[in-house]
Amino acid sequence: MEETELIALAQAGDKKALAKLVKNYEQTIYNFAFKICRNKNKAEHIMQETFYSMVKSLHQFDGNSKLSTWLYRIVSNHCLMLARKLKNRSFVSLDDDDSLYDEKYTADWNTLPYKSTENEELKAILDKAIEKLSPEYRMIFLLRDVEGLSTEETAQTTELSIAAVKSRLHRARAFLRNELNRAFQK
Amino acid sequence: MKEQKVTCKEVMQHICESLREDLNSERCVAIKKHIDECSGCQNYIETVELTIDYYQKYNVELPDDAHDRLMKFLDLEDSD
Repeated sequence: MEETELIALAQAGDKKALAKLVKNYEQTIYNFAFKICRNKNKAEHIMQETFYSMVKSLHQFDGNSKLSTWLYRIVSNHCLMLARKLKNRSFVSLDDDDSLYDEKYTADWNTLPYKSTENEELKAILDKAIEKLSPEYRMIFLLRDVEGLSTEETAQTTELSIAAVKSRLHRARAFLRNELNRAFQK
Repeated sequence: MKEQKVTCKEVMQHICESLREDLNSERCVAIKKHIDECSGCQNYIETVELTIDYYQKYNVELPDDAHDRLMKFLDLEDSD
């Protein structure tokens, strides 16, 4: 059955159609929530809250955007709400453009011992680097580069201008690349 | 056409701004020419791409019991 039919049925109160929609997106939403908060328990909590919001407000979904984009907006809001509750965390400032593009040395990434991202040491490096980014920057990098949303969809999801998305994206890319480069030099 | 001169730093910033986008402005042409001749900038592009690639491939599977808890939380049942 097409997604639009499932949505129409779910909006009319069909619980089987609703369950199918949840099942179709639960892996994506759980994975995305984990990538933002880097914690499986928090990711599960955010996933539950996201689908609870979806069930409550599906009648408002007008089909003007993809359902996935609409869900990314809900999950992003829940991630940001959770992050704001944990105010004691401090994040790196990416306001200084100059230092982001001032890396003189590049480690030889071709000889790294990590053959896949299943490597625990590499996972720890990736977690540590992205955790330094504020959730606002993290979100843009993950939506655009990792989940593959377009710049326009990312702007729509985060309610930012396209210029702001591009600016945050390039800073996040440069920052993460530099963090990994430093970690790989050790 | 007067050839634009660009520095590695400008190229790095440009790469991070426009990676994966198709750009054909005069400045982009100059930057592409610089990249063709600069191993440092080629390496930089490669490592930014690899950074994205690492984060794309680092995924977690939803555990079965988390799925079950979700359906219960929403008061829904699996249909298949």
